[in-house]
Amino acid sequence: MTFLIDANVIVYAAVPSRYRDACLEILEAVAEGRADGRVSTAIIEEVWHIELSGRAGAIDGLARQTYLAFSPLLPVNDRIIGRALDLEARRLGANDRIHVATALANDIDTIVSAHADFDHVPAIRRVDPLDEAQRSRVLRS
Amino acid sequence: MLTERLQVLLSRAQRIRLAADAKRRHMSVGALVREAVDARLHSVPVEKRRRAIAEIKAMNGGRYLTPETLERIVDEERERPLQRIGRRARR
Repeated sequence: MTFLIDANVIVYAAVPSRYRDACLEILEAVAEGRADGRVSTAIIEEVWHIELSGRAGAIDGLARQTYLAFSPLLPVNDRIIGRALDLEARRLGANDRIHVATALANDIDTIVSAHADFDHVPAIRRVDPLDEAQRSRVLRS
Repeated sequence: MLTERLQVLLSRAQRIRLAADAKRRHMSVGALVREAVDARLHSVPVEKRRRAIAEIKAMNGGRYLTPETLERIVDEERERPLQRIGRRARR
């Protein structure tokens, strides 16, 4: 099963929190080729913004390491922006709509994210990184 | 250098889609298939990917912020250049 990895999963893999071990497990599985998680150009841009802002502490190099681990990234192109603009997802901001559209355009129906607002979008299924059963399911398949 | 030959069976629909897209983009079907392979498969060796994750695992100066705060940071970072332009325009 292919799934999209949200920016918060990458950031939480780098900072101390109850999410860290679960998020690292996901990133490690993908980097080693045991799971098929994808990252888009828009998601890595978010990670980079958070890193450069300094507000999540010292996570220097996180965007670069993410790029190395997940290249090739899924592109965000004209078709995806068009799909994002048409998306029925009133609770989501522009970035998250682009993530959903990127997933759908690549036949991906699952996003791993700590952001619960994705739960209100029927087109995509969110897996919370802390949900052990769901996490194991996406990593196994 | 292209040295490897690979025979792949496709459905008729896939063949038609490939040929149509290659024609639209003025490229050969082979070049389009090679581009698709590069876009789909990891381009960084597994050892390097493992090291990248190890670097992330070794980070210890970070701070937890809620998903909503992370979203706000991204929005604010994107607005900063626009705010600078706005301030310049008002001068």
